[in-house]
Amino acid sequence: MAIKDAPVVDIIEFDKKEAYNHDRPISSLIRTQLVHLHHAEHIVVPEKKQTNININMLLTERQASDYIQKVTALLHKHGKVAGKPTKKKKATSKIRSKKAVISKKTGGKSKKTRPAGKKRTSRK
Amino acid sequence: MSQGLDNLKHIVVLMMENRSFDHMLGGLKLGGLKQKFPKINGLTGNESNPDMQGNVVKVSPTADYRGQLSHDPDHHFPGVDLQIYGGTPFAPGRTANMQGFIKSYATQNTSLQDSHAIMNYFTPEKIPVLTTLATEYAVFNGWFSSIPGPTICNRAFAHYGTSFGNVDMNMFLVPAATRQKIPTIYERLAAGGHSAKLYYYDEPSSTMEIVNLIKDQSFFGTFDEFMADCKSGDLPEYSFVEPNYSDHPGPGGGQLLATDQHPDHHVLAGDNFIGKVYDLIRINPDLWKSTALLIVYDEHGGLYDHVAPPSCIPDGFQAGEAATGVPGLTFNFDRLGIRVPAILVSPYIPRGTVVPGTEDPNGRIFEHASIPATVSKHFLDGNDAGTPREQQAETFLNLLGDTFRPDNDCVFFPKAMKG
Repeated sequence: MAIKDAPVVDIIEFDKKEAYNHDRPISSLIRTQLVHLHHAEHIVVPEKKQTNININMLLTERQASDYIQKVTALLHKHGKVAGKPTKKKKATSKIRSKKAVISKKTGGKSKKTRPAGKKRTSRK
Repeated sequence: MSQGLDNLKHIVVLMMENRSFDHMLGGLKLGGLKQKFPKINGLTGNESNPDMQGNVVKVSPTADYRGQLSHDPDHHFPGVDLQIYGGTPFAPGRTANMQGFIKSYATQNTSLQDSHAIMNYFTPEKIPVLTTLATEYAVFNGWFSSIPGPTICNRAFAHYGTSFGNVDMNMFLVPAATRQKIPTIYERLAAGGHSAKLYYYDEPSSTMEIVNLIKDQSFFGTFDEFMADCKSGDLPEYSFVEPNYSDHPGPGGGQLLATDQHPDHHVLAGDNFIGKVYDLIRINPDLWKSTALLIVYDEHGGLYDHVAPPSCIPDGFQAGEAATGVPGLTFNFDRLGIRVPAILVSPYIPRGTVVPGTEDPNGRIFEHASIPATVSKHFLDGNDAGTPREQQAETFLNLLGDTFRPDNDCVFFPKAMKG
């Protein structure tokens, strides 16, 4: 007995070229995927390596898949593997990075920040 | 323990997108097929919903592969609430009547005529892979999505056994500390010395499990790797396969079609993809006899189903009124979402197995928490604590019996391998 003995069932073939439409507007599912990947990119990928792509400008499946490919590759490059130690970042670079982000958002106005993970302490 | 369970070394789950049971498999009970598959809880042809003008619109065997659902049907929590309760405002004890599907689709900028498309279903010959596997192996009459809501929170139940109180699409809203208290099935298997992998299609399609990807990428692979692992026989003990979520360019200037069947992606691309996943296991004799393949849809995608979702034990979380979007409704995760197609494949399953659901007093109710429940029961001997929903969930491996069906009794889709 082998696979050649198996009863064969035909799939329905169709015109794939006619069906293909990478200009289709993205669904809410892919929109969510973009938002999640954008969020993950900012958590995992060092600022200098980030794509700086405005995901709100991505409207079609092709545009979305280009971004998704780039960020997925970046997440694999910079992401975690359980059991393997991750490189510790210097605290100063974290502060600088956060300041730079705020600087962009506020048009360069400086804002006092505290390092991520450090709890606010009451002033005495 | 049955012979089939004794031999079981691999569980593979393929989770598709956004189609209801009746939309895909409901036609198996109609016409001449009623005599052939009398136990399948599909359509009689008389099921109906009112449209926005009060016209009674019956289910129709006119579902098309694409083009009818170009306005994505609503499948977020308030939309599904409307579909299930027909627009009856929330009040304790209200009855699910499954009368709000057209009303709900009418909210998606559809014309009156187009809103009727939500009642369409496929005749079995139009999706030959899915309907063949449903009738050649085991089909579940009572597999429901875990939440009356959208994709991400439903898929979370397959990975964690809970959505951490989420009824929407954003798992990042769940605090990391809360998520880390409940590990994924992949982490639990690894901790128990077992292998597990989530295969997404390719990088341009990526995964819907981004929270997991940033937590530990070692659990991830691509569909090319899945194919190679099937060929070499190196498949992990547990595999979760994601389809291609978008039409996008492929290697060497090719064009890759979305295979997830999410409206309005071409349904045949997904049907053929299901055939390919099946074939990859089917053609490796060692893998075939040692693998159970579950094909299941994450949620109904707003498409009509006639079976009211049953209640279930609470999940231990609550979603308040602001999260549900339904005035007055705090959701305790005590009711399942709408019914979805689910098929279990193994050469140890007798042809034509139908697992009864809510239509039978002795029926069994499955949901996506049944996936980690089954996987942990088989590979971790049930010694691994799951979420409350997972602990109560039905498991499905007892469908594997003692009799191994020979090659000439198990179908093959040779052309699916070429796609």
